[in-house]
Amino acid sequence: MTTREFDGIRLERVREFVWELPREGDMRVPARVLASEALLDEIGEDKTLQQLRNATHLPGITGHALCMPDGHQGYGFPVGGVGATDVETGCISPGSVGYDINCGVRMMKTNLTYADVQGHEEELVNALFANVPSGLGGGGVVEGDMDTVEAVLSRGVDWALEEGWAVEDDLTHCEDGGRRPDADPSAVSRKAKDRGKNQLGSLGSGNHFLEVQRVTEVYRDDVADAYGLQPDQVVVLIHCGSRGLGHQTCTDYLRKIEKRHGDLLADLPDKELAAAPAGSELAEQYYGAMCACINFAWVNRQLIMHRVRQVFERVFDRSWESMDMHLLYDVAHNIAKKETHTVEGEERELYVHRKGATRAFPAGHPEVPPAYRDVGQPIIIPGSMGAGSYVLRGGEASMDLTFGSTAHGAGRLMSRTQAKQEFWGETVRDELREQNAVYVKAQSGATVAEEAPGVYKDVDEVVRVSDALGIGDKVARTYPVCNIKG
Amino acid sequence: MSYELRPHTADVAVAATGADLGETFAAVADGLAAATCDDVPATGERFSVTVDAEGLEALLFDYLDRLIYERDVRGVLPVANEASVHEADGEWVVEASARGVPFADVTARDVKAVTYSEMRVEETDEGWKAYVVLDV
Repeated sequence: MTTREFDGIRLERVREFVWELPREGDMRVPARVLASEALLDEIGEDKTLQQLRNATHLPGITGHALCMPDGHQGYGFPVGGVGATDVETGCISPGSVGYDINCGVRMMKTNLTYADVQGHEEELVNALFANVPSGLGGGGVVEGDMDTVEAVLSRGVDWALEEGWAVEDDLTHCEDGGRRPDADPSAVSRKAKDRGKNQLGSLGSGNHFLEVQRVTEVYRDDVADAYGLQPDQVVVLIHCGSRGLGHQTCTDYLRKIEKRHGDLLADLPDKELAAAPAGSELAEQYYGAMCACINFAWVNRQLIMHRVRQVFERVFDRSWESMDMHLLYDVAHNIAKKETHTVEGEERELYVHRKGATRAFPAGHPEVPPAYRDVGQPIIIPGSMGAGSYVLRGGEASMDLTFGSTAHGAGRLMSRTQAKQEFWGETVRDELREQNAVYVKAQSGATVAEEAPGVYKDVDEVVRVSDALGIGDKVARTYPVCNIKG
Repeated sequence: MSYELRPHTADVAVAATGADLGETFAAVADGLAAATCDDVPATGERFSVTVDAEGLEALLFDYLDRLIYERDVRGVLPVANEASVHEADGEWVVEASARGVPFADVTARDVKAVTYSEMRVEETDEGWKAYVVLDV
């Protein structure tokens, strides 16, 4: 048997791309890493494996604690982590969802080709940067009041439709129709709502971005047809989450859990895994609050997408409808949802925690929107500014291997501190423009250095593993044209 | 008192020291500002906050969380932090102030939240030390 050891943590190779950390000590279940040897070498370099082992201690965790191919060290639960816990006898863990609830990605299509955009890149990147709020204190597309925030938390993209920020087609192409039925705005604190009201329709900063891309390759014609993708087509990718409102909600519940369920917390190896016992008042409240934050994040991305449509209208002097600027799909990266999965032949309702991981339901699954049910759910995997992104579809093996999940991006390789030592923002920006024809505009050079292509893992390798395992199948590849960052 | 930003794959860590707990807490808060912004201008008005919690780590967590909250709702970056920490009736209390630099005066990024991950607050022969990972 092939084994690998990193800092005293020994992994056994189950089969190609599947590595198991057998159950030992207080671990409730074994853990698995889905990676090639090259990715595993990178995963083993920081505390990812230790954090994955810690995640196996969550009460009611089922099957395996999982690390996706893009996994890296986070806080508490690793980024790229998937953990499913029983909704009756387990727990729900805000720390295993993360602070940025429903941080995610949506892709909008257009009928423009790369040739239509060439020559307009500079104008487009400047117009997007000027019109899409980003950075700290950049405001939002909508200056909301408390009633607006309440309505967004409760009704999600339905609110955006009623207010003229969305069209029906946006809802039918979003997970859950853009509205979580379990949202409970009353479980979101006033403090969180105060933070959210000035940030409705804003990118934020860090690794969040908006990118105009062109489709460079199609791997599965039938699925690409169903998604409406073809070579040379221009698409827009939006990556952000629930902003300060979601961050505050996670913080609030970590502290509430610490105060009320300190005994449970004392048995967990990392306080950041804080979990509320299933069925407890706090578990119900957090679930309602988290679902409300999911709605907020969807509306956030919807408002940005609406603003992008307006920017394209001005730059290309045509209506957005005539450019067919329709939503392909919206995927969440930080989420814990009640889902039904078959575990050892038995159907069970589980909270599936995905932290830096994407849901990847296959063809035929009832929760895949009707538009895609015959081919599988779209999955959008952003790469770095200098590498391609991918569109995948939920793979047949995802329900058996990963509770219907796959990777969420390229995954960081290098700290921001190190990135700033190795890269100079202006140089990265100029090289991207001159060598790769990628136009980047950011709030600061430091942000560009911290997000330089070299700080990310090889997205091709991440997607290769996902495709080979059948958890997310390659459909198309895209390459950046313009990128704005907060 | 002093702080250092420490590398972390996805986030940013702050290691801080001080002669007493107040100095150490203020140094962590200055580290939070440094993780947000490279150059800080001398503008802005001072404001005060008082935070209490059941333990020292919880107090540091809530203090930094409060600064992040004040940042978002006041639209200012809290810098030049000052703090004093004491225990009263089993509760830990931090009385602190910061100069709030208006967002319009800085190029800053969003530190999303303070985390408990790897958090340490400990007394040593040279004074107090703290270590905090920030979600960026």
